[in-house]
Amino acid sequence: MASRRRMLLKVIILGDSGVGKTSLMNQYVNRKFSNQYKATIGADFLTKEVQIDDRLFTLQIWDTAGQERFQSLGVAFYRGADCCVLVYDVNVQKSFENLNNWREEFLIQASPSDPENFPFVVLGNKIDVDGGNSRVVSEKKAKAWCASKGNIPYFETSAKEGFNVEAAFECIAKNALKNEPEEDIYLPDTIDVGGGQQQRSTGCEC
Amino acid sequence: MHENEFHDLSDDADYEASIQHGSASMVRTSSSKQSTSSEPEGSEIVYWKDNVAIHPTQYASERISGRLKLIKQGASLFMTWIPYKGHNSNARLSEKDKNLYTIRAVSFSEIRSIRRHSPALGWQYIIVVLSSGLAFAPLYFYNGGVREFVATIKQHVNLIRSAEDANVFLVNDFQDPLQRTLTSLDLPRAVSISKGTSPSVLAGESPSSTDQDGLAVASLDNSSTNQHKGKQKQKHNDPAHDISIQVLEKFSLVTRFARETTSQLFREHGSGFVSNEREKLVHNSNDPHKVVMTEITKEDPHEVPVASDPLASELEKLSMVWGKPRQGPLGFEEWASFLDSEGRVLDSGALKKRIFYGGVEDGVRKEIWPFLLEYHAYDSTYAEREYLVATKKVEYETIKNQWKSIKPEQARKFTKFRERKSLIEKDVVRTDRSISFYDGDDNPNVTILRDILLTYSFYNFDLGYCQGMSDLLSPILFVIRDESEAFWCFASLMERLGPNFNRDQNGNHAQLFALSKLVEILDSPLHNYFAQNDCLNYFFCFRWILIQFKREFEYDMVLLLWEVLWTHHLSEHLHLYVCVAVLKRHRTKIMGEQMDFDTLLKFINELSGHIDLDATLRDAEALCICAGENGAACIPPGTPPSLPIQDASVYPQLEDEVL
Ligand SMILES: Nc1nc2c(ncn2[C@@H]2O[C@H](COP(=O)(O)OP(=O)(O)OP(=O)(O)O)[C@@H](O)[C@H]2O)c(=O)[nH]1
Ligand SMILES: [Mg+2]
Repeated sequence: MASRRRMLLKVIILGDSGVGKTSLMNQYVNRKFSNQYKATIGADFLTKEVQIDDRLFTLQIWDTAGQERFQSLGVAFYRGADCCVLVYDVNVQKSFENLNNWREEFLIQASPSDPENFPFVVLGNKIDVDGGNSRVVSEKKAKAWCASKGNIPYFETSAKEGFNVEAAFECIAKNALKNEPEEDIYLPDTIDVGGGQQQRSTGCEC
Repeated sequence: MHENEFHDLSDDADYEASIQHGSASMVRTSSSKQSTSSEPEGSEIVYWKDNVAIHPTQYASERISGRLKLIKQGASLFMTWIPYKGHNSNARLSEKDKNLYTIRAVSFSEIRSIRRHSPALGWQYIIVVLSSGLAFAPLYFYNGGVREFVATIKQHVNLIRSAEDANVFLVNDFQDPLQRTLTSLDLPRAVSISKGTSPSVLAGESPSSTDQDGLAVASLDNSSTNQHKGKQKQKHNDPAHDISIQVLEKFSLVTRFARETTSQLFREHGSGFVSNEREKLVHNSNDPHKVVMTEITKEDPHEVPVASDPLASELEKLSMVWGKPRQGPLGFEEWASFLDSEGRVLDSGALKKRIFYGGVEDGVRKEIWPFLLEYHAYDSTYAEREYLVATKKVEYETIKNQWKSIKPEQARKFTKFRERKSLIEKDVVRTDRSISFYDGDDNPNVTILRDILLTYSFYNFDLGYCQGMSDLLSPILFVIRDESEAFWCFASLMERLGPNFNRDQNGNHAQLFALSKLVEILDSPLHNYFAQNDCLNYFFCFRWILIQFKREFEYDMVLLLWEVLWTHHLSEHLHLYVCVAVLKRHRTKIMGEQMDFDTLLKFINELSGHIDLDATLRDAEALCICAGENGAACIPPGTPPSLPIQDASVYPQLEDEVL
C-alpha cells in the first residue's frame, strides 16, 4: 500500500463570478481569507495533501473564472476531473439558478465516461453575510435541487469565517476518490469526515 | 459579368492614373496605354481574384487590397497583383506607397516556389519566392481561392509539391532561358522583396521602356545599373533611385534586416522555413539591431535532452545586450521639446521611439497617455485638445446619465442592468486595492472605476462589461486622474482590445494562435515540446494576453510596459513577442522538467512578480526584429490590438448573452 504512487485527485470549482470560489479554495488550502483576492482570470489551481484512511492523496483544486464569457476555455481545464464542486451565493438568486447551467456545461466539456454517476458537490457560500438576513435561497430549496440531481451532497459554507469549509472539502476529496475507477482501494466502513460540522450538511455518503 | 472583366483593364488604368496622381515628382513618360504592356498582347487571363491583400505593416489601416491575376501568354504564365486605387478607407498610405508593392507581371520562370499558409484563424495567404531568393510580401486571400490559384497554376506550369512540406509548391519550369541569366546575376540586397521586380516580364522590351513603366522599375537590373551612374544623374533622371531611397527610408533597418534574413534563408534553403533550421545569431557590434543569421548545423533536436535554442545557443548571453539598451524615462523638458508653440507633436514617430526605449516619467504620463491611447491626435493644438476635452466631458455625462437616471422601479424590470452593475461592483472592489490610490473602505476612486465601467457598458452595450476590463481601466484612471478623460482613453483602448472580451473569445484565440506560430518560427524545439505535451492551445498565456500582463508585474512596471506596447513601434503585436521572450527565458526549465499542461500553467501563473521587465523587453525587441516579416505573417489580420477589420459584426454573437 505505502509503496503505491501518491494519487492525484482533480477537483474543479465552478459557479458564477463572485460567489467565492477563490476564497473557498484559499480558505481550505491556506486557512485564510482575504478581501483582496482579485477576480480570477483564466484558471489556476492549488494542491493540498489529504489523508483518507491511511493513504495520502494530492488534491488538485482548480479555480476558474466565473463569468460565462470565459466558459469556452473550460475544455482545457475540466479534462480528467474526478469531482466537480458547484458553488452559489445564498444571497444571490441567480447564482443558484445557474447551478444547472454549470453542471450541464461541465458534463458537456469534461465529457466524463459515466456522466450519470459523476460526483458533484454543491456549496451554498456566504452564509455569514448580514447574519443570514440577506439570504434569498433557503437551505430546503437547495437541498431539493441537489436531491433531484441524484443526491448531490450539499454544504453551507462561509469562506470568510472558515465555516464548514474543511468538512465540505473532505467530502469532495472522498467523492473524487470514488470516481477513480481502476484503483482497487480498500475503504473501511467508517470515515472521519470532520466531525462536528457535519450537521449543517446533508452529509457525504461515502 | 466577369466575362467582361477579362478584357476590362480599368483597374490597371486606375492604377496608372494613381501613379501619375500620387507621384508627380517622378519622371514618368509612359501613357496608360503603354503600361498595359504588363499584360502583353495576345494574353489570356486564366485566373483572377479580387480582395487579395498585402499587409505591409502591422496596421490594419495600411493593408492594401488588390487583384491577383494569372496571365497566360504563349507558353509562359505570369502573375500580377495590382492594388486598387483609393481603396483604403484610411489614407495613411499614399497611392505611391501602395504602388511600391505592385507585382507587375512576374513570369513563373522566375518563381521558385509558392508556400501556402492556412491558419486556423484568419485568412489563407501565400508567399511567393523568386528564383533569386527574394520573396514577395505575403498575399492574403480575403475571399479565399488559394486552392483554385494553385490548381490553375498546375494547369499551365509544372508545379510539384515539396516532399518536405505539403504546403510548399515548387515551380519547375526551365523553358525560359532568360531565367538562367537573371538568376546568375548578383542581385543587390537592398532591393525590397515586397516589390514587383520582373525584368523578364517585359522580355523583348528595351530597358528604357522598363524605366518608363514607372514604379515597377526599381527592378533588379536597374538597381545594379544605378551603381554605374553618376550621382547627379540618378537624382534627376532615374526614378529607380528615388524609389530605393524611399524604400530605405520608409522601412526601418529592422525591416530591412528582416528582408535580408528572409531572402538569405530562402536563397539557401529554397522552400525551407526559418523554423526548420538551426541558426546562429552573430552579434554585429556596429549596430545592435543588426543580427545576422547564419546556419551552422542541422541536428536532430530530439537527440539532446533539451533541444537547444534554434536562434542561438548564446541567446541567454546575447539577449542581455541584444535589444537596444533601455533609456531613462521621458521627462517634462524633453516632452516639451517634442511640441511646437501651439502644442502639436512635431515628430510623433520620434516620440514613440523615445518612449519605446525608455517609457515616460510619472508626472508626464498624464500628458502623453491620451496620445498613445489615440484619444488626442498628435497634430492637434493645445486649443483643439482643450476643446475636445470639454465636448467629450459633456458627452460622457450624457452617457453616464443613461444609467444614473434609472430609478429603482425601472431597475427592477431591467435584469441586464442589475446584473451588469453587480458584476462590476464585485470586480472594482477586487481591483488593485493594495495600491494606495484604491485602498481603504469607501474609496471614492473605486466608485469612479465603477461609474466609468458602467458607463462604458452603456456606451458599448453590445460588448457590455467583462472581467478583466477593471484591470485595464485601473492604471488609466490612476494616471489620467479625470473621470471623463479616463473614460475616453479607456474607450479608445477598447477599440483595439474589445475583441479580447467577446463571448466567443475570438480576440484571445487569434492572439494565442499567433503566439503559437511565433514560437514555431522562433523556437521550434519548444514548439515541438508543446505539441507533444498537449500545450498548443497556449491557455497558460491567457491571462498575459487578456489584460496585457497587468497581473504579472508591479503596478509601476505595468505602466511602463503598457506605454511601451502602445507606441506600436516595431510592431502592434510586441506583446506577443514579450510572451515568446518570457517563454524562451524559461525554455530549459520547461522542457528539462518535462512540464505537462497543468504544471506549466502553474509555473506560468507563479512567474507573476518575478519577470524582469527590462530584460524581457529587450528580448522581445530582438525577437521581433529577428522574426521580421515571417513573424508579421504569423499574425492574422485584425488580431488585437490591431483595429478590427470591419466595424460591423464585431460583436455578432451576443444575442443570448446575459451580460
Ligand atoms: N461575507 C463573505 N464574503 C465572501 C465570502 N466568500 C467570498 N466573499 C467575498 O466575495 C467576493 C468574491 O469572492 P471570490 O472568492 O473572489 O469569488 P470568485 O467566485 O472566485 O469570483 P470569480 O473569480 O470572479 O469567478 C470577494 O470580495 C470576497 O471577499 C464569504 O463566505 N462571506
Ligand atoms: Mg475567483
